[in-house]
Amino acid sequence: MSESLRTVVQALEDASESTRTGYRFVEESSTAEPFFTYSGVERATARYGGALQALGLTKGDRVALILPDNQDFVFAFLGALRIGVIPVPIYPPAGLRKLGGYLENTLHIVDKSGARLIVTDSDIRRLLGTVQAAASSLDKIVAVDTIRKSREPLSPVKIGLDDTCFLQFTSGSTSAPKGVVISHRNVAANVHAFMHDGLNIESGVDSGVSWLPLYHDMGLIGFVLGPLYYRNTVTYLPPLLFLKRPIRWLETISRLRATISFGPNFAYALCVKRVRDKDMQGLDLTSWRVAGCGAEPIRAGNLRDFADKFAAVGFNRRALLPCYGMAEATLAISFDNLGEGLRSDVIDAEVLAAEGTAKPLEGDGTDGLEVVNCGKVFDNHEVAVFAPDDAASEHPLADRCVGELRLRGPSITSGYFNDPQLTEQAFAGDWLSTGDIGYLVDGDIFVCGRRKELIIVNGRNYYPQDLEWQASRVSGVRKGNVIAFGTRKPLNDRERVVVVFETTVADQQARETLKHEVRKAVRQATGLSIDDVVDLDAGVLPKTSSGKLRRSETCRLYETGQLFGRVSAREGDAVGIAKEIAKSQLGYVRDAIFGDKK
Amino acid sequence: MSWTHDELVNEVRSLIREHSDEGLDITEKSELVADLGIDSLGVMEVVADIEDKFDMTIADNELREVATMGDVVAAIEGRLKADGRLKVEA
Repeated sequence: MSESLRTVVQALEDASESTRTGYRFVEESSTAEPFFTYSGVERATARYGGALQALGLTKGDRVALILPDNQDFVFAFLGALRIGVIPVPIYPPAGLRKLGGYLENTLHIVDKSGARLIVTDSDIRRLLGTVQAAASSLDKIVAVDTIRKSREPLSPVKIGLDDTCFLQFTSGSTSAPKGVVISHRNVAANVHAFMHDGLNIESGVDSGVSWLPLYHDMGLIGFVLGPLYYRNTVTYLPPLLFLKRPIRWLETISRLRATISFGPNFAYALCVKRVRDKDMQGLDLTSWRVAGCGAEPIRAGNLRDFADKFAAVGFNRRALLPCYGMAEATLAISFDNLGEGLRSDVIDAEVLAAEGTAKPLEGDGTDGLEVVNCGKVFDNHEVAVFAPDDAASEHPLADRCVGELRLRGPSITSGYFNDPQLTEQAFAGDWLSTGDIGYLVDGDIFVCGRRKELIIVNGRNYYPQDLEWQASRVSGVRKGNVIAFGTRKPLNDRERVVVVFETTVADQQARETLKHEVRKAVRQATGLSIDDVVDLDAGVLPKTSSGKLRRSETCRLYETGQLFGRVSAREGDAVGIAKEIAKSQLGYVRDAIFGDKK
Repeated sequence: MSWTHDELVNEVRSLIREHSDEGLDITEKSELVADLGIDSLGVMEVVADIEDKFDMTIADNELREVATMGDVVAAIEGRLKADGRLKVEA
């Protein structure tokens, strides 16, 4: 590496010399856009850190942050780091659904992290009564307004590279959240990798725009910590403002002549769908040199549509940059080559299913499967593909052999907080088991399926167990005989969510009511709309010899129309759709490679 | 422009209908997410449509208190009233 590693705290102190670059916060309700140079950020975060010290927090304590306001979040997060306190970002309640599920999840995270304090805004604080009462580690819930006004001085604390920087709770089902431990050394290594190697960043010159939620790694590491190390200016938009008016993202890039902005696949699809031609007048996207895409499966068609639509206002399709990463790798593990745009591989779906290899499609066959190239792993890091049952990672597979992607290097977490068992399961030998399915070609990473069974809709992760639990609470559904899974049909830009349940109710009308109630229960608890609900007679769901439900087998039967003799009541051409689905990446690859191990 | 309560309900219903599952009966008790099948992105579209139609900005924290169409109507009504844009029905 060309420079020595620094803690985030050291990077902040170094950046505080900058009176030109820093963080800008766009607010929805006002045209004022508070801008803090890094010098100002240093002063503000000292105030927040001092206030947290005055509240009794000391090095190693955890503080949960539920702060929808970007400015509060950034200052509280960095303020905590400066006093060695470990922040635990938690997403704010989204509204428009019952609070029960949210409070339960929040309580589990607070308990698991052992947080002593929650810092939140006064509106959310009113909603958290049950969390306060039930969390044993929690001293109190503090409204951020009191911290904002604090004048308590910060007493400097010595922070080392091997100290824990923060806990990223992004994965795990509701009842068993997993907190990825990220050290300052992990952050320093990853920031160097993606800012220097990945983006070829021009220190203090490149500038970013981000609407990404800061409780998520792409927003937090990518657009708060990375730019801090390199003293680049970043402008933040409220995430909900982007979801409401996607054009604001593009307008902000255009207006500020920003050079770097990232989003998950759905963000690009949303702009294609929602930005109207008349809103594009006056837009100028020529400054945007890196349009990164990661965090959920990348669909080449969505990115191409985006490039086509916005070429008219100067978007350079070569700015598109597919990326691969995960919270367990701090943020990113590979970026594709800068300035080359989207590159992909079209492979033969038949060969993939039959042999588990990614053979380039010959001629104009119709059985092609397009997989996006995510580029080479960053320097000092390693990626290899292993057979899923190669528990000690002893036999890396050859190029174009499809298997599990595993990672090694300084960005990889030491494990999950306070959870030796899950930590042990996360590694195969000394490699991190990503659970993602893919292959390598001359070092380029191709991801063709992601974590087994996880359902991702619009950038949010849902665990089938959570949906099954909610569905099985409905009276009339056979307890323990519910299966939820995600499936893709190529024509859709998002995953379809299917819930299958068994019932002994015979009356058809009553069954319809039951299906409606299952939909409603899942929506209320998770906010997720189910695309299809299937009712089956008792004993129809496939099980293992020990009586466990077989989720991927159920998914396969559904996708091939064998589960109930039809794919979906909504689909006209059931056979055609079933074929399409069978060719789609997830079902095919998952079954071809993993079979049905559950 | 100003609205009566009934005009408001009808307008909100037709905005919501564009984003909800087809063939559903939309009442003031219908929950946007749970009953009408509007996903989280769809909800934000509804909010944007409402803001455009009624010329107002709905803050994120206001959404936390809203679940049904009736809640939506009440929230808009409160704002229109404060702005003097609600017609009193004879």
